[in-house]
Amino acid sequence: MNWMLRLYPARWRARYGEEFGAVLASQRASVGMVLDVLGGAIDAHLHPQILGSDSKQIKGDDTMTLEMLHRCAIGGPKLSPDERRIASRLSIISALVIAILYLVLTKIYRQAPAVQALYWTSIFFPNIIYRQTVYLRKRTRLTQALMLGAGLSAMYLFMLAVFLLGSKL
Amino acid sequence: MMRKTEDDAELADFGRFSEPALLILISLAEEPRHGYSMTEDIETIAGVRLGPGTLYGALARLEARGLIEPLKSEDRRNPYRLTALGESALRARLNSMMAVARTGQRRLASA
Repeated sequence: MNWMLRLYPARWRARYGEEFGAVLASQRASVGMVLDVLGGAIDAHLHPQILGSDSKQIKGDDTMTLEMLHRCAIGGPKLSPDERRIASRLSIISALVIAILYLVLTKIYRQAPAVQALYWTSIFFPNIIYRQTVYLRKRTRLTQALMLGAGLSAMYLFMLAVFLLGSKL
Repeated sequence: MMRKTEDDAELADFGRFSEPALLILISLAEEPRHGYSMTEDIETIAGVRLGPGTLYGALARLEARGLIEPLKSEDRRNPYRLTALGESALRARLNSMMAVARTGQRRLASA
């Protein structure tokens, strides 16, 4: 049953892990006990302050849950102001480029499926670019470009296929 | 609701852990004990067996508040003892509970 210890934050485990393991080992496994430990683990994640300020500070996955909640709430990993600025600028620039491209292509090709697909894909472009920039920020420029290109192309091809199919119905 | 003195209030915001915390303090009032020994003692005195999650949720809160403190130990079963603050919080809580119990019994007797 000691695997259940892994459910607790690292900081908590460092402080109580050994003795908790000893108590855990001394008890008969039951559904009630599993639920009790689960409840305790959730409580330990939700109330990290119960360890007190003088407890051993350990960086790591102790704040994993809170960090994940934080990331979900703001929609991405923690970014430095510079990284955030770059991601925002890329999103805005891509939105402008795609808007101009759409207007030009519409003037030339009117409502061709390829143009329609571009229009619908462009809705997601800034978001995809922002996300890719954020998540790939630690990768090389080449990897970023390849991943971005692949993601955007896949999106465009999908929309194009939908419009080509739609035009045949 | 029971009236709370300043010391009694130490246990007031423990939420679902307030009863286990009280039982732990009562258990440690006799002598320092480690987790497993507390579980056994509490089962004997109150007929409740605290699960490890509940036990350590309450222990961590009590320790953070300075009501109990760990003692040095050779093995992995760390014993705890009541601090002076813990003792006075326990005393206040028990007094408050006794006052309520006395009132209840008096009212029952006169009913």
